[in-house]
Amino acid sequence: MNRSLLQWIMAGAALILVLAVPLLLSNYPYWLHVAIVGFFYAILASSWTLLAGHAGQFSFGHMAFMAIAAYTTGILGRDLGLPPVAGIIVGTLLSGFVGLIVGFLCLRLRRTYLALFTIAFSEILRLSLNSELDLTGGPNGLHLERLLETTSRVPYYYIMLGLLLASLAFMYWLARSRFGLFFRAIREDEEAAAAMGVHVVRYKIMVFVITSMIAGLAGAVEAHYIEFITPNILIIAQMSLVIAMAVIGGIESLVGAAIGAILVQFALEFLREIPLPEALMPWVVEMGPRLEAIGLGVGEHGILTNAWRLVVFGLVLMLTLRFARNGLIFPIIDRLFRQRARKETVAKRVQAGEVEP
Amino acid sequence: MEITGQYLMNLILNGLLIGFIYALMALGLTLIFSVLGVVSFAHGEFYMIGGYVLFFLLDTFTGLNPLIAVVLAGLATFVIGFIFERLFLRPMAKGEIERPGEYAILVTFGLAFFLQYIVLAIVGPYPKKAQRFFDLPTLDLGWISSTATTLRIFDIPLSAARLTAAALAVILLVIAIYFMYRTWTGRGLRATSQDKQAASVVGINPLNMSTLAFGLGTMLAGMSGAALVTVFSWVPAVGVPASSKSFVIIVLGGMGSLPGAMLGGLIIGLVESLGAGLLPDPNRALAYKDAFGLAIFALVLLIKPTGLFGREL
Repeated sequence: MNRSLLQWIMAGAALILVLAVPLLLSNYPYWLHVAIVGFFYAILASSWTLLAGHAGQFSFGHMAFMAIAAYTTGILGRDLGLPPVAGIIVGTLLSGFVGLIVGFLCLRLRRTYLALFTIAFSEILRLSLNSELDLTGGPNGLHLERLLETTSRVPYYYIMLGLLLASLAFMYWLARSRFGLFFRAIREDEEAAAAMGVHVVRYKIMVFVITSMIAGLAGAVEAHYIEFITPNILIIAQMSLVIAMAVIGGIESLVGAAIGAILVQFALEFLREIPLPEALMPWVVEMGPRLEAIGLGVGEHGILTNAWRLVVFGLVLMLTLRFARNGLIFPIIDRLFRQRARKETVAKRVQAGEVEP
Repeated sequence: MEITGQYLMNLILNGLLIGFIYALMALGLTLIFSVLGVVSFAHGEFYMIGGYVLFFLLDTFTGLNPLIAVVLAGLATFVIGFIFERLFLRPMAKGEIERPGEYAILVTFGLAFFLQYIVLAIVGPYPKKAQRFFDLPTLDLGWISSTATTLRIFDIPLSAARLTAAALAVILLVIAIYFMYRTWTGRGLRATSQDKQAASVVGINPLNMSTLAFGLGTMLAGMSGAALVTVFSWVPAVGVPASSKSFVIIVLGGMGSLPGAMLGGLIIGLVESLGAGLLPDPNRALAYKDAFGLAIFALVLLIKPTGLFGREL
């Protein structure tokens, strides 16, 4: 059987499996919920990958643009009675507009400035959302209308999956088009790209606005699914998780980042509690105070890991960056779906002017 | 609320006191940038760890001299910074990492995440605050008077904790300046920051200087945290606003400029204090204190991206 047919069959089987998941998980609504949230993070991680991996622009404000859209639709829905769909559109546009301003400020300069500015920007946004009680509800959060008149999670599963596939398709098209070529040229060497006639600042702002809007869209839809949003989505852990997902998935691979995000989301849920045999439970309960002293906890069926699971992901993030720049998922995808020519990878290139021996 | 001259003076003095500590913290970040060419996104986390080390030292060993505890806190963060630089940043300087600029941003950000959550896991989320180091002598000389907790100059109250922290910061700044400009090692650091190859020609090892600069930078962050844990209450996330403040300061002062970091720290301390003090709603003032810094950041990017003392980009 030829290789490309095999690949199509595998891709088709994967799609059918993903579409059939709600049937398989119909008795486990909680895991269906985890999958929906996983898709949401997949959109964030893959759009961040387009910005950072393809265009080489590092933003730590991805969650801020997501929050801007989510809060916009929430506030418009509450105060003006705007229906969710209209609110989502307005929120997404506003994310893009704020992205335009931030991009205009930072993207004329070296890339470190974007990273520095966006991290400060999202911290200020978090503090402002916390303190503007009348507008945002402050730390207590903001309630949103639900998107659909149903209590079932299944429609949301397909909506979020559809959103993920649509944004992946769009970003894949963008990355393969001449714009994608410009982005990568800018990433490799801005001066050289400019010398070849690429309008560097314009394309950097363009990709920043597009990815901010994708993050905003995902955030607004997610907020109408959860029906609730608090400023806590802007804490550093959230942004770090998105980056960990993208890096573990493969920082230059849109699909790798998306799969990485879904796997990390499930891993986080599985690691919440390390299950132990019933026989050991009395011993665990007895050890309770000692476990709590080192940040662990006693659960119903095992040991609660609390903050330690995030520590693990921080460590995995650093080690992946150091030893596996192409990520952990992308090499697997690459092996399964290798094209005739080997795809470009992080490991093969050296950026001119940046290595100081 | 009426704004009197005295109230204004109060804001200015308190802003300057905090500004000295910001200056110390930002000096560490700018030192790291000038030698390694790397902005450490984990700078605030070292500040946070310094504060916790001091708190637990004083909590465990009652009667320990606070000044020794500050030095120990600095040493602790020095060691963490040293290890991190050796494991994760030195391979970059040796050319083992592709696209080092991107790697540096991400790996220090990963370190911030890792440190913040490992501290959260170990010490828990509840706020901690250390006792002030010293009691002031009780005095009354007319326009200047003091009690154990407060010094009053023309009826402007300055808390003992803030005064001690600022005094400590000034002493450490003087030591740091002396070190950077008058000792062989300090000159070696500055030489490396100006030209790595020329520095190695005259017998300075740039790799060792990078490790030293990163260690010293994190040590300054740790010591400023140790000084401020008596003023603010401490949670594992306390480093995040501290990081963004340091970023604003070094961009304002010029990335890699030592005098710029010091002047920038004082300016940001003043602006925050005045800005927050002149906002009528105290609840909002606390949040927008940091927003003034962001506004300055945006202005610098618009008007003069190289900052006050920056080299041309």
